Amino acid sequence: MTYPRQAALPPTGIPGSELSGPHPVGQYAARLRDRLREFARVQIFGEVWNLRPSRAKVYFELRDAGGAMPCSMWRNDWEALGLPEGLIADGAQVVVAGGCDFYPGSSTSSPSFQFAVSDLRPAGEGDLLAQLARLRRLLDAEGLFAPQKALARPTLPRSIGVVTGEGGKARDDVLAGLERQGWAGRLVWAFAPVQDRHAAPRIGRALRDLAAYADVDVIVVARGGGSLADLFAFCDEALCRTVALLPVPVIASVGHHTDRTLLDDVAAVSCSTPTHAAQSAVRLDCVAARAGLRDNARHLERHGRAAVLSRARTLAQLSRAPSEHIARHRRRLHQQLRELRASARRRADEERTITSRRLLVIGRKAEVARLHRARAASGLSALSGDLGRKGAAAGAQRRRDLERLALALAAHEPERTLERGYALVEDSGGEPLGSATEVRAAGRVNLRLRDGRVMARVEEEK
Amino acid sequence: MTEEQPTYEAACARLEAIIRRLDSSEAGLRETLDLCKEGRSLVEFCAGELDAVGQGLEELKLDELVARLEAGARASSSVES
Repeated sequence: MTYPRQAALPPTGIPGSELSGPHPVGQYAARLRDRLREFARVQIFGEVWNLRPSRAKVYFELRDAGGAMPCSMWRNDWEALGLPEGLIADGAQVVVAGGCDFYPGSSTSSPSFQFAVSDLRPAGEGDLLAQLARLRRLLDAEGLFAPQKALARPTLPRSIGVVTGEGGKARDDVLAGLERQGWAGRLVWAFAPVQDRHAAPRIGRALRDLAAYADVDVIVVARGGGSLADLFAFCDEALCRTVALLPVPVIASVGHHTDRTLLDDVAAVSCSTPTHAAQSAVRLDCVAARAGLRDNARHLERHGRAAVLSRARTLAQLSRAPSEHIARHRRRLHQQLRELRASARRRADEERTITSRRLLVIGRKAEVARLHRARAASGLSALSGDLGRKGAAAGAQRRRDLERLALALAAHEPERTLERGYALVEDSGGEPLGSATEVRAAGRVNLRLRDGRVMARVEEEK
Repeated sequence: MTEEQPTYEAACARLEAIIRRLDSSEAGLRETLDLCKEGRSLVEFCAGELDAVGQGLEELKLDELVARLEAGARASSSVES
């Protein structure tokens, strides 16, 4: 949206109006701002509502039954207050210091009225919480939250001190917690007021006396729930310093689980209820521990007996070992001997079987050979007879042939020819001459005749 | 076991360690017998501690206790004087 530029001349006013003007709105707004800033700077109080932190400022409204005022505070001033996170929330009572201021706005921004807060303090319970936060920071900075937590806390205390109100329910709760743990030792009650202005010094003295005279191993400080103002005795600085430096561990159980007193911070342990505080003081379940201890004792006895018995058995076994070793070897030797004999018998039986089988085979073969021999002998004799007969016949035949051949040969003998009157011509060497040429060549020849030889000379007829 | 008086939790822890060692079957005869002996003494100690908080609740009031102690202290100082 754009606004018309301011006219060079102001517009005319409303006819008939007695009021001054018309004035430019910016001018009027600036005058209003100046007048509002002239208002006296004051402190006002009320409940915070609609708390809205922004980047530069924190905005909220202060309200009560009669009215409300928009407030703003520079963010730097707000953070310099060092208020605990969440302490100032809707509904918190606060006192603020400051004065009226007005932002006149412009052609592009809206005007706004604020009560400009320059300081703020929580009131009511918020005030107590702020005090508590400051004291907590102080004790923490001094390191007083640590000493109690560094103390050794026995699991099974023999003696417990309890600081509580004499007629309060916390006493019964502590007893119930101890009974639940099966604890029935020495309990020293230190009764003290737990919520008025005398409470903190009395509680502090009770704690010191318990630590000094009562020889307790742990102290429980117990109180039931109440408002923050009721519990504020347990935020007392002197009391907290006493607890922090006490050589006996303190277990705090003050108020409901949502309450957090300074004693909870300095104590060794902080519990939500007195029953839990008692159980935290005696962390051991005594009933279960007794049962466990019986088991452990039996276990030990069993181990002790077993260690001796098992070794005695081992020794007995070891003492029997040599004779058992020999007996074992003897048994093995006997066994091997039996196996050897059995093996020999088996071998002999096998050999016997094989031999008899071979004998049978040889007998059969001998029989077969004998039969063959007999058969051969009979065949041979037959052949022999046949051969004799055939030999005789062949001899006769041969003789006859020979005679015939002798006759044939004799017929061809030259002497036979000579006997028939023929002559044989031979050379001087006795070689027969068969032709006239050979005779002529020889010149001298021998003539064999039936009755002798005649030497002759060849002469050619002329 | 050490010369100084052990706490219940230290005694329990040592006892459990002994039983673990025995259960492991790695301890020799001498060690086993020594551990059993130490374990028995620890059991006796723990049983004593449990007995001390098992005989019945003894409730005292601090005021009376302090008064008694102060009366005793006065009596002894007067005897000395």
